[in-house]
Amino acid sequence: MKPLKIIVLLLVLQGGFLSIWKLQHSIDRQQEALKQDRDDVLLVSGKLVKMMSLEFAPLMADFYWTRAVQFYGNKHVRGEANMESLWPLLDIATTLDTHLIVAYRFGAIFLSQSPPGGLGRPDLAIELVQRGIKANPDYWRLYEDLGYVYYFDLKDYKKASEAFLEGSKNPHALIWMKIMAAKIAAEGESYEVSMFLWNDIFTTTTDPQVKKNALAHVQLLRAQEDCRQLDLLAGEYEKHSGRRPKRTAELAQAGLLQVVPVDAFGYAYQFDETGKAVLNPQSPLLEKQKFFERFK
Amino acid sequence: MMRIGVVALNTFREAVRDRVLYNLVFFALVMMAASIIAGQISIGIEQNVIVTLGLSAISLIGLLIAVFIGVGLVSKEMEKRTLYALLAKPVRRWEFLLGKFGGLALTLAVNTAAMAVGLLLAIAYIQQPIERAVGTVLIAVYFIWLKLALVVALALLFSCFTTPLLAILFTGGLYITGLYVQELRDLPMQVMSPGMQAFAKWLSYLLPNFENFNIVALAAHGRHVSGALIAQNSLYTAVYCTIVLTGAALVFSRRNLK
Repeated sequence: MKPLKIIVLLLVLQGGFLSIWKLQHSIDRQQEALKQDRDDVLLVSGKLVKMMSLEFAPLMADFYWTRAVQFYGNKHVRGEANMESLWPLLDIATTLDTHLIVAYRFGAIFLSQSPPGGLGRPDLAIELVQRGIKANPDYWRLYEDLGYVYYFDLKDYKKASEAFLEGSKNPHALIWMKIMAAKIAAEGESYEVSMFLWNDIFTTTTDPQVKKNALAHVQLLRAQEDCRQLDLLAGEYEKHSGRRPKRTAELAQAGLLQVVPVDAFGYAYQFDETGKAVLNPQSPLLEKQKFFERFK
Repeated sequence: MMRIGVVALNTFREAVRDRVLYNLVFFALVMMAASIIAGQISIGIEQNVIVTLGLSAISLIGLLIAVFIGVGLVSKEMEKRTLYALLAKPVRRWEFLLGKFGGLALTLAVNTAAMAVGLLLAIAYIQQPIERAVGTVLIAVYFIWLKLALVVALALLFSCFTTPLLAILFTGGLYITGLYVQELRDLPMQVMSPGMQAFAKWLSYLLPNFENFNIVALAAHGRHVSGALIAQNSLYTAVYCTIVLTGAALVFSRRNLK
């Protein structure tokens, strides 16, 4: 082949691929409009998908679980609250592989959290975890997840206590399951219990998103407890000085505090116009508090 | 026995010469890609994906070899007319058939074992030290090989009396049906007539139950597999293969090769 022909051929090839690249961009833009439709799960019956998977059901379960994670992650990033497809994806994944513990555990979190953090369906989360317990009765951590949904999302402390107690009967369960059951039964929601549960999620989870969420809750719980303690000290201060303190430094000056307490980001707490201890308006923790309160 | 061994060894050599084992490269690439990608796109199933993907790939690649080469074991020899030269020697037809079966079973054993090594390396890559019960993974690989041996026997049987294309369809069809034997047993028997009930029940035991060999989920989660199941599945395969190969030998011995 002559060199001129080769050059022409190379140019044509280059031009061809360049137009393909341009064309693909246009197609991507067109497809963007259809993205919502793509969220749909075409086959919603787990049993049907299992039958169609032949012998590859466990592999398909991994695919469906990955799809659920991707779906949840994408919605999270875009801040979209529409998560209707989450349940069918989790339902299919756990039907295809009934021992896929991770799908029950994280799935329950995804389902129970209020939008846009999750689907806001603790009832489905309970259904999923109970299905997991049925298929994996030896895995005591699922009882912890069940108790967690009852405790935080449904505020049903009786059932939360029962779940922890049931899980504690497993010989491999950690001793705190029994303690938690007794504590919730006696006190309902309390700082210690909430702190312990969020801390446990923070230390045991492998997912960065869940870890970040748990850390935010731990920081906020600590801040709430600090504010409660500051309110008590402000009451003491009022008894002696006849007025509520305006700054936390006044409590330290009065000898009621050794150091001025700060939140997780190093910002000192303040007293609002009613004299109640609150987060510093500059603190990033305030944003997190507002975020969680918005979806309560 | 010696004659069967010679045929088997030659069948194995022929498979190697036909570059059947090249699929191992494909398998290695799949495992490498999965090991790297799995951890990036999902949560908590890195090991699961490696095990399920690895075992599924071993099964799928093995099935393709078992079906496509299995049906060609006899027909290719007839097509090339090498069968006539072979049968002119003191080799009985059933010995030829058994040798062919043994040769492909040996090829599949080598192929499956090599892929199992690749799978174990992939597991070791993402999990150091290996915590998961690797024993169950090896048992799952063994079960896949048992299943493949049964598929080879069926492919041989069909190839003895029909064309290669039909033999592929029959073997593939029977394999898929064999995956749903449990569903057949779960049919609502009470709404059927007594005759139909008996037929469905007998059919569910007559068909090869390929679900027996599927312990991929157990292997992925490191669950225990009882020794009794290993023994029973081995025996099931041995008995079933004996029946199928006997049938194949009967058909082949009566076949007019002129």
